[in-house]
Amino acid sequence: MDYSNLRRQAASLKKGLFDQGHLDEQFRQVEDLQDEASPNFVEEVVVVFFKDSGRLITNLEQALEKYPRDFNRWDAYMQQLKGSCSSIGASRMKNECMSFRDSCGQRNVEGCMGSFQKLKREHAVLRQKLESYFQLLRQAGPAGAATRPVM
Amino acid sequence: MDRRRIRVLLVEDEEINRVVARAVLRAAGVEADEAENGAEAVRRVRERVGAGAYDLILTDKQMPVMDGHEATRQIRAMGVTTPIVAVSSDSLPSDVQAFITAGADDFMPKPLTKEKLGCILSKFGLA
Repeated sequence: MDYSNLRRQAASLKKGLFDQGHLDEQFRQVEDLQDEASPNFVEEVVVVFFKDSGRLITNLEQALEKYPRDFNRWDAYMQQLKGSCSSIGASRMKNECMSFRDSCGQRNVEGCMGSFQKLKREHAVLRQKLESYFQLLRQAGPAGAATRPVM
Repeated sequence: MDRRRIRVLLVEDEEINRVVARAVLRAAGVEADEAENGAEAVRRVRERVGAGAYDLILTDKQMPVMDGHEATRQIRAMGVTTPIVAVSSDSLPSDVQAFITAGADDFMPKPLTKEKLGCILSKFGLA
């Protein structure tokens, strides 16, 4: 197997994530925390992020369907999600969180719903791209690399 | 003589934020305890009053059971003078002022990074 080609593909995919605004500088900060003591730290953080964010999106989806509209609850969920996005540098998701919260502040239901749909799309795209990225890294790594964690 | 390790209490309810902050603290060579809400933070601080007090407390704002503002107020009410730095994603001037009024010493927007932690440790003479 051409490991150097796999590494090039992984690097290219990661560059694309930054160039397209999916990730920002904070992701590099997270990468900087990976060391010999925590060789899979970045992937572990990403797994935790998608577990957290998936839960928050599900909770918010349920809250959005309820009447009367509870903008305070919606905002609280989105504030948590925004914080999570900030921790890993999920920039486009974070921007949609902020857009949603702006709409919340204006009691704009349509704005909230629109932002939420965009957020879900960004979440799905980022998840798919990062899954591909880590899969390439695992394939490019040494033989006997760690088993794939569930994302 | 071995230099005593700095002891920090990290108060944060969201796992992802704890994971990242924990790694930042570890990279700085700091000993860290964790509390998932303000009430647990107050309990941990109370247990350490006197010998073994924390050198620094980093706290989030929005948490279940007890938020960061109330935890800060209660810690100060115990007479604890440990530096308390709020680390929160809500960073409007009103958010910052609310923490300072509660008794915090400083405010840092999330997320915690090596650079931000370095600034905090330097500011309070812990570097």
